[in-house]
Amino acid sequence: MSVAAVHPGGIADHIHPEPQGFVRRYVFSLDHKIIGIQYIITAFVFFMLSGLLAEVIRTQLLNPNGGFVSSDTYNEVYSVHGSAMVWLVIIPLLTGGFGNLVFPLQIGARDVAFPWLNMLSFWIFPVSGLMLFASFLMGAPTAGWMEYPPVSLQGAAGTSMWCAAIFLVGVSSTMTGINFVVTILKMRAPGMTFTRMPLFCWGQFATAPLLMIATTALAAALAALFIEREFGVPFYDPTKGGSPVMWQHMFWFYSHPAVYIMILPAFGIISEVLPTFSRKPIFGYKLIAFSSMAIALAGFMVWAHHMFTSGLAPFLQLPFMILTFVIGVPTGIKIFSWTATLFGGKIHFSTAMLFALGFIGLFTLGGITGIFLAAIPFDLHVHGTYFIVAHLHYVLVGGSLMGVFAGMYYWFPKMSGRLLNETLGKWHFWLFFLGFNGTFIPMHWLGMLGMPREVATYDPQFAFWNRFESVASYLMAFSILLFFVNVLWSIRNGKRSGPNPWGGRTLEWQIPSPPHYYNFKHIPTVYGLPYDFAQPLPYKGLDEELTDSPPAVAAGAH
Amino acid sequence: MTAATLAHDAHGDVDQLYIETRELRLQGFLLFLISDCVLFSSFIFAYLYMRNSGQGWPPPGIHRLDVPFAAWNSVVLFGSGATMHYALENFKHGHWMRYMIFLLATIVLGAGFLAGQGYEYTHLIYGEHVTWAGSGIFGASFFTLTGMHGLHVFIGVCYLTVLVLQSSAGVYTRGKYFGITAGTLYWHFVDVIWVVLFSIFYLI
Repeated sequence: MSVAAVHPGGIADHIHPEPQGFVRRYVFSLDHKIIGIQYIITAFVFFMLSGLLAEVIRTQLLNPNGGFVSSDTYNEVYSVHGSAMVWLVIIPLLTGGFGNLVFPLQIGARDVAFPWLNMLSFWIFPVSGLMLFASFLMGAPTAGWMEYPPVSLQGAAGTSMWCAAIFLVGVSSTMTGINFVVTILKMRAPGMTFTRMPLFCWGQFATAPLLMIATTALAAALAALFIEREFGVPFYDPTKGGSPVMWQHMFWFYSHPAVYIMILPAFGIISEVLPTFSRKPIFGYKLIAFSSMAIALAGFMVWAHHMFTSGLAPFLQLPFMILTFVIGVPTGIKIFSWTATLFGGKIHFSTAMLFALGFIGLFTLGGITGIFLAAIPFDLHVHGTYFIVAHLHYVLVGGSLMGVFAGMYYWFPKMSGRLLNETLGKWHFWLFFLGFNGTFIPMHWLGMLGMPREVATYDPQFAFWNRFESVASYLMAFSILLFFVNVLWSIRNGKRSGPNPWGGRTLEWQIPSPPHYYNFKHIPTVYGLPYDFAQPLPYKGLDEELTDSPPAVAAGAH
Repeated sequence: MTAATLAHDAHGDVDQLYIETRELRLQGFLLFLISDCVLFSSFIFAYLYMRNSGQGWPPPGIHRLDVPFAAWNSVVLFGSGATMHYALENFKHGHWMRYMIFLLATIVLGAGFLAGQGYEYTHLIYGEHVTWAGSGIFGASFFTLTGMHGLHVFIGVCYLTVLVLQSSAGVYTRGKYFGITAGTLYWHFVDVIWVVLFSIFYLI
């Protein structure tokens, strides 16, 4: 065998022969780039479905008396909307989707550590998604995405289906997490030390252990709920000695880290987009990288701040409040570093950049209401109101989803070799931005005034703002439609992008778009950080990437 | 994990690539054990939580568990940990027969532990009428956790049986035996989990 380059982990360089035939190449593919695109397409299909559910919710709330769907259906709709958006849209897009697509290219690897496991992770995901939506056929869950017992114990048969679906998607997440940790630890290109890794990789490196550890805790909680519902074994039913609060502990021990699973990769995307379009080194590289790790670690120690109204002992409430405040510090460090990156930069307002800037603003708003909610006296006042709904949508839509869109406009050329249309993109951004704020800003004061969440009808005094929100949400839906039109149009007719349309300096921009099956002809050697725009590129061995020469390592030669 | 460990099996015998991908597999397998450990930890947390929020332990109407029997059964399981260790060591040093004997001994001891657990379950269910669903949080936590552990032992016994068949067919060589390493790690992991379960169910 020929050894062209050896990774720091001691992995010899080799190329597998490119598979032939449609099925091996695009359906059961082992290629991380194809699997990433598969994740992205599947997740956007589920995004469309659960977005429609969101519009059912807003249409119901046009009138204080509802009347669009029955209260029971309404319960099912918001429960599946929340579950699907979290587990089938945001998490797969940011980890399986952009993670698979981008970070192996950025660290100079030919694939992830376990390509078969990667394929298996992907194929579990659409199956579990279909199971989740199929629960409508047998009576979908009705207790929200958190499925608190005892309501979830009494829910229709679909609740058990929900348990199984989320359990499966969790298995997929866990396998992705294991795969990513090993890949980043063992398969970096020579010279790609941890402190030279692009920040998107740091985001994935902070997220993967959360996927691996926290998700298993959720699996235990789900298994117990399933067993209790199907076999009557008491875990959560207080009449048989179980404890519904125990579910909340186990659920939030996963779901608070899950919040960071949904935001840390988005932080990574923003940290790539901002320096590229400001033509300036990222400010505080190490601070951004290490604060991701700090957030991931501290994320395991704050779960009970979701439970201040659940009868938690007072001596436990205080540390959870303080730790939650503390977690705001690394997040603040990031916001500060991004703003400092913009300062004095040559800002190019491309669509990706607009979404990144929108992210900074909206995520900061969501983060600040998060600090409000960490304060026990305030939380007791607004718990279970629309204030919570506003907060979580500001971080998940204004934060994570804006990050996803920034990533889509930024990396679409790398996936397809074509640019997304910028004019449509800017319409998408502005309509989305206006529609989003119109939908969710009023929820802050509706919540402060006491409008409870998860209800199908409401007090007529809230009617005006609810109608306002519903109309704004239609605007948001229309902007998403523009995005889908843009993708479908550009994939055939978009402008050819060439290898590096944005002048990006990370490794994925130094190779053709879309990249070859084997990613790199030679595994490059890395000499420094990618963000120093005044310097020559810190890579060696990339001279032949854009030529027609064959790869240095023959396929199958070992 | 099988999908992962198969990822590179299409390649020839002991070559550079195998030795290097073995490191990846080892790391991936250890991470899998960590996440499996979290699964047990969550149920153990649930058990301790329920135990401390109830009215004393064991709950009224339920006898204490049979500690001496479980202790002997534990000795059987820990003994199988020792035989597994010697199996791997002997394989590394090329003592083929001793490897096979220790591996078979591990399987017998593992199956013996399962039989003991089956006896204990039968005694509880039919002798004392303590059941999974019908005995409150005691039945729920005891049968779920020990059952999960038993399932792990059962999977381990099956896997070790596969190892015996593979070894007889000459799948493993002195330079290429990740399957045996993984089996040993898994078996020790299951042992360690039992140390914790035995302590929290029988000793405290």
